[in-house]
Amino acid sequence: MNPKLFLKFVSVSFQKQVTYRFDCFVGIVNGFLYVFIFTSLWKALYSQFDTTVHNGYTLTAIVTYAVMVMAVRISFTMDDSIIYRKVMDGSIAIELVRPTSFFFMNLAENVGNSLFHTMARTAPIVIISIFLFDVSIPFEVIRFLLFVVSCIVGYILVSMMNFIVGLFAFWFIEIFPFLLFKYAFYTFFSGGIVPIDFFPEFLKPLVKLLPFQYMLYFPTTILIGRASLAEAQSIIMAQLIWIVIMGVICSFMWGAGKKKLIIQGG
Amino acid sequence: MQQNNIAIKVKGLSKDFDISESGKGFSGKLKALFRRKRKIITAVDGIDFEIKHGEFVGYVGENGAGKSTTIKMLTGILVPTSGSAEVNGIIPYKERKKNAAKIGVVFGQRTQLWWDLPVRESFDLLRVIFRVSQSDFNSQMKKLDQVLDLNSLMGMPVRKLSLGQRMRCDIAASLVHNPPVLFLDEPTIGLDVLAKESIRNFLAEINREEGTTIILTTHDMNDIEHLCKRLIILEDGKIVYDGETELLKQKFVHEKVLEVEFHDDGNVIHGIPGVTVIREQGCKKWLTFDNDNYGIGEVIGTIASRYKIKDISVNEPSVESIIRNIYNNRVTLATPSEESPTK
Ligand SMILES: Nc1ncnc2c1ncn2[C@@H]1O[C@H](COP(=O)(O)OP(=O)(O)OP(=O)(O)O)[C@@H](O)[C@H]1O
Ligand SMILES: [Mg+2]
Repeated sequence: MNPKLFLKFVSVSFQKQVTYRFDCFVGIVNGFLYVFIFTSLWKALYSQFDTTVHNGYTLTAIVTYAVMVMAVRISFTMDDSIIYRKVMDGSIAIELVRPTSFFFMNLAENVGNSLFHTMARTAPIVIISIFLFDVSIPFEVIRFLLFVVSCIVGYILVSMMNFIVGLFAFWFIEIFPFLLFKYAFYTFFSGGIVPIDFFPEFLKPLVKLLPFQYMLYFPTTILIGRASLAEAQSIIMAQLIWIVIMGVICSFMWGAGKKKLIIQGG
Repeated sequence: MQQNNIAIKVKGLSKDFDISESGKGFSGKLKALFRRKRKIITAVDGIDFEIKHGEFVGYVGENGAGKSTTIKMLTGILVPTSGSAEVNGIIPYKERKKNAAKIGVVFGQRTQLWWDLPVRESFDLLRVIFRVSQSDFNSQMKKLDQVLDLNSLMGMPVRKLSLGQRMRCDIAASLVHNPPVLFLDEPTIGLDVLAKESIRNFLAEINREEGTTIILTTHDMNDIEHLCKRLIILEDGKIVYDGETELLKQKFVHEKVLEVEFHDDGNVIHGIPGVTVIREQGCKKWLTFDNDNYGIGEVIGTIASRYKIKDISVNEPSVESIIRNIYNNRVTLATPSEESPTK
């Protein structure tokens, strides 16, 4: 898809967020509360034990992880019911009579959404948290760049996941239960609540087979310095492989879904 | 090449919908998915037609006849259950994007403009979507503005437009890229007489001047009579008439209507051979007579000799009344067409 068009739609979606004046204040408070709860829980947990390092995390490291994974998660906010709503009200018909890729239009819409959340929520939450909590991030330009790349790839993975679940609407129309399942899987298996290192042993092989850890966990470990620069590069390689796998699933689902699609209302 | 002259080619095109009643809620839907007994309706049932470039075709039929479903298949939204279609030589449901670049579509009941944006920005987005150069865009918009009077609407957010204003914008929006083929699904729905007329004039003009092929779906038979040389009538997903609009009258109507105003009411008309009264209103009566077996002079003569007449006129049946008869099955549709496939 032509980049100019992509950016246009990013900006339309961004502006839409601005016009409907998503309640920024509530969003910030809500995000900050999460950060506060998680960091407090970790502090309480760590104070119960004599050892200071658990699963490779010092208290500072785990607090940093909790703050940063939340920051990434908030930046990755996207409306996962877009496709569902377009199928529900039939407006998907209008999009399909345009010479544009449905996947990329969807991605552009998500990006606009996420940019808004990054600016309006992530930024203030990170700044406040750095002052309030014991957060320590290694300052290396290359590391930061690798983190950004890894985030972008991780973001595309999240968008693909939402695309795939959204396409279920072509078969079922009503997909709310799928969205709930997805939300649970995504938040937990991506390391959004607890880093993968803390998962029970029996879960770890399963997690390795799933793409979720490449969405939040790995980009965050790059940022906070748990992954070496060399490891960061292989993380990004693995993420790219997942992009290919998910891309194949997306296009397969799209091909099959097209035949199932019906348009609601005239 | 003759092939190049064909804008749309449809062969045995069918679309089934699964309307099995699914239970309430999610589990009901899941069950329905695995149930063997399905309720299927055939919305479009093996239709064939060819439309040449530059034609203006009316596509009509009762509610639920399958008009919109056909248009959705030709625009690449729906994938047919069987059969094939080509638009500008492209198979719409296989090459949706390629097809979309060469067609314009208006769905009367939904807008293709961005609800939250001012009209101007919607057009600008469409310009980028359809990769229209700024200069082509400017000249096209100028042309569209002249007929559809868009300038005054440009700054308004789409959600604040009236239905008629929105429809003008939507029609213009479908033409930003000056497509060779235009699909209009009820573009005059809910419009007042004047708005309808201006849109009609505009459509006639682009068909004449630009040679745009237009397929128009409507329930307003005036639209058809004014615009469409050719008429395709659909019934239960099957084509029951495909031919010139004018010819429809000759083929299916063997009756003329006489509108007679008598000097006093209470006249009981009977016993005139071939004549039946279809409507009465005070001194006015509408009579039909069998056009094939009785001459018009003969009938008028007989009436005039028996009753005192104030005024009399002969009405050609409207396309509307003919189509109404077809819908009501008052006219048999053993299509006298030569092309009908022999079994
Ligand atoms: N989304 C859908 N799910 C199930 N059945 C559908 C769906 N869309 C259309 N149909 C069925 O297909 C048939 C044809 O519908 P279609 O919308 O093509 O009719 P139409 O000729 O455009 O009618 P109208 O004049 O009312 O717009 C109808 O029986 C309708 O119930
Ligand atoms: Mg319709």
